[in-house]
This record gives sequence, structure tokens and C-alpha cells, in this order.
Amino acid sequence: MSCPIENRNSEMLVAYAASQLDPEAAGALERHLADCAACLSIAADQTAVWKALDAWEAPPVSPDFNRRLYRRIDQGMPISWWQRLTRPFLLMPLRQALPLTATAGLLLMAGLLLQHPVSFTRAAAPLNRVVRAEQVESTLDDLDLLRQFGAAASTESGHPDAM
Amino acid sequence: MNAQPYIPPGVSTDMGVAAVAALDYDAELMLRVKDGDGTSFGVLLEKHRASVIHFTYRLVQEQAIAEELAQEVFLRVYRSRSSYEPTAKFKTWLFRIATHLALNWLRDEKHERGQERLDDTSTDLPVRQVSDRRPSVEQELVYAVKLDEVRRAVAALPEKQRAAVLMHKYEEMEYTQIARVLGCSESAVKSLLFRAYETLRARLAHMETT
Repeated sequence: MSCPIENRNSEMLVAYAASQLDPEAAGALERHLADCAACLSIAADQTAVWKALDAWEAPPVSPDFNRRLYRRIDQGMPISWWQRLTRPFLLMPLRQALPLTATAGLLLMAGLLLQHPVSFTRAAAPLNRVVRAEQVESTLDDLDLLRQFGAAASTESGHPDAM
Repeated sequence: MNAQPYIPPGVSTDMGVAAVAALDYDAELMLRVKDGDGTSFGVLLEKHRASVIHFTYRLVQEQAIAEELAQEVFLRVYRSRSSYEPTAKFKTWLFRIATHLALNWLRDEKHERGQERLDDTSTDLPVRQVSDRRPSVEQELVYAVKLDEVRRAVAALPEKQRAAVLMHKYEEMEYTQIARVLGCSESAVKSLLFRAYETLRARLAHMETT
């Protein structure tokens, strides 16, 4: 093959260092490198540069990146409460989204129960009243029965009060 | 910023809108965003978020600034959805916005503070502890020093060379794609990369990889 340096084709050496050449081209270049010290030197140096750049890892992305972005998007346009509520789940895989949605639903229900306990007490109140009214009626009936029983007993024994 | 990517002189423009959309699934997703599908925007965000942030981070070398710039990139993508036309790959358009914003920030920063930040030795590298002789700490220190050298070497490159190297090395973009992002011809990109790698070889080739 022709010399990449002489042909101003140094990107071939860059591609070789990056392992981007197909096996056939890489093989041809390696045969050339065996005879060309200049190309061999550049290829070796470029490989070192490539490995040095490989070592430079970027820091992880902040976990609240999406939230901040959507907040900024929301500032510029109207959005319904339902969209705001469901959007985080739309970005997740189904396996993650289902348990989270179920948990969110339970938490929502628990929140409603804690926020409005009075309404449930009030709803139960009429039942209590019915129970109490029945108890009072039953007690009055019992008293009436006792009174009648007492009157009958005194008549039989000739008690003066019964006369 | 105009949603239509700039096509430099000498770069082929024979790909029609439909052809690009058919070849590029991201462009198809963006067309759905244009039609009001917010979920597709979420998919695009998940797919490209990390690469955009990492790219801006390596350009400006400050994580907080990089994330702010990336936020602005996606905000612009969303806001310009109604005028979007897929005349090029979505990623090309995305990185064109990112490069534009990051290079503008660098110019403003350079104007305000000069090269003070790049020469500042108080980077986020671990503090040297000379008395600590444990091998793992030594290795960490060696790595940190080498990493600092890499960062400085990249930061010392002219802006366009730096952007070209980062797209070529970390995003594995082709010359044509980098040309579209930078708004220049493919031969200009080859020239940029040739000079950039020449500089980097002079500065970094001595480094032993760990």
C-alpha cells in the first residue's frame, strides 16, 4: 500500500489507532508499518493519545436533570395536573412503572384518608343514631313489660296499691 | 436557533426530508414531538441526555455549567419542535445546538475571566497525600495527574479543534456529520482533526496508559 503520510492520509493512522479500520485495511497498514518508521511512530503515538483520552470519563448526570428540565419547559407553557402527575412514569420501562404507579395510587388513597377522616366519621354517624334509637325503644318496651308484670303481680297478691 | 440544520457548502444535500426521517428513527420521534407527542420527547431525552452532557462537560470542563448548557439544548429542541424539519440526522442537529451554546459560553467566559480557569490548579482532583504510601492511593494519584494532563491538553486546543476531537473520539461521529455540526466542509474537518491530533500527540504520547 502507499504511505499514508506521503499521501496526506493521516486519518488512516488515526482510524487504525482507534481500531476503526476493517481487518483487511488494518492488515495492509500493519505490513506498511513494518517498513515505515515514520508511520509506525505516528501510529504508536496516536494509540497512546487514544488510550489517554479513553481514561477521561465524564461525571454521572445529576438525578434531578429531567425534573429541572421539565420545570423549565412547564414555565413556558400550560400543562394539566394529570400530565404533570403521569409524565415521570411515561419515561420508565413497564416493569418499573407498574409497581411505582401502584405505590403512588396507594399513597394517594392513604393521603386522602388522612386528609378527610371527618367525612368518614360523619358518614358513620346516622347508623349510630339508628342503633341508639332501636336500643331506646327496646329499653322502653322492656320497662313497659316490667311495669305490666308488676301490676299483674300486685293484683294477684291483693296489694292495696293495685286497687 | 433555527430548527433546520445549517448545511455547509460542499456538503451533500440530496437527502430529502422523508428520506432522513425514514433512515433516522430519532428524526421520526422528533416529528411525533412536533405533532404533540410529549412521550417521544421523553424518549429522545433519555437517549441523548448523557452524550450531550458529557460532550458539553468535556468542552467547558465544569459539570454544573455542562448540565445547564444541556438543559438549554433540550429546551431549545422542545421549543423549536413546531418548526422542525428533518433535513439531517437528529443527532447532528442536537450537537449543532450543543456546540453552538458551549462555544458561545466559552467565548463569554474567556472574555470575562481570560484563561484563569484553565490555569487554575485547584481542579476537582483528589488532594495529594505525600505521606500516604499505600499503592492504591498512589495509583489514584498517578491517574489523577494523568487525567489532569489530558484535560489540560484538550482544553488548550482551539475551540473548533476541541469540539471536532470530542465528537470524533467520544461520539464516534463521521467527518460528514462533524462538518454539518461545525458548519464547515469535510476537508476542513479533516484538517481540524489532523492539527488537533498532532498537538495531542506532542503533549500526550509520552503518557503510559494505566
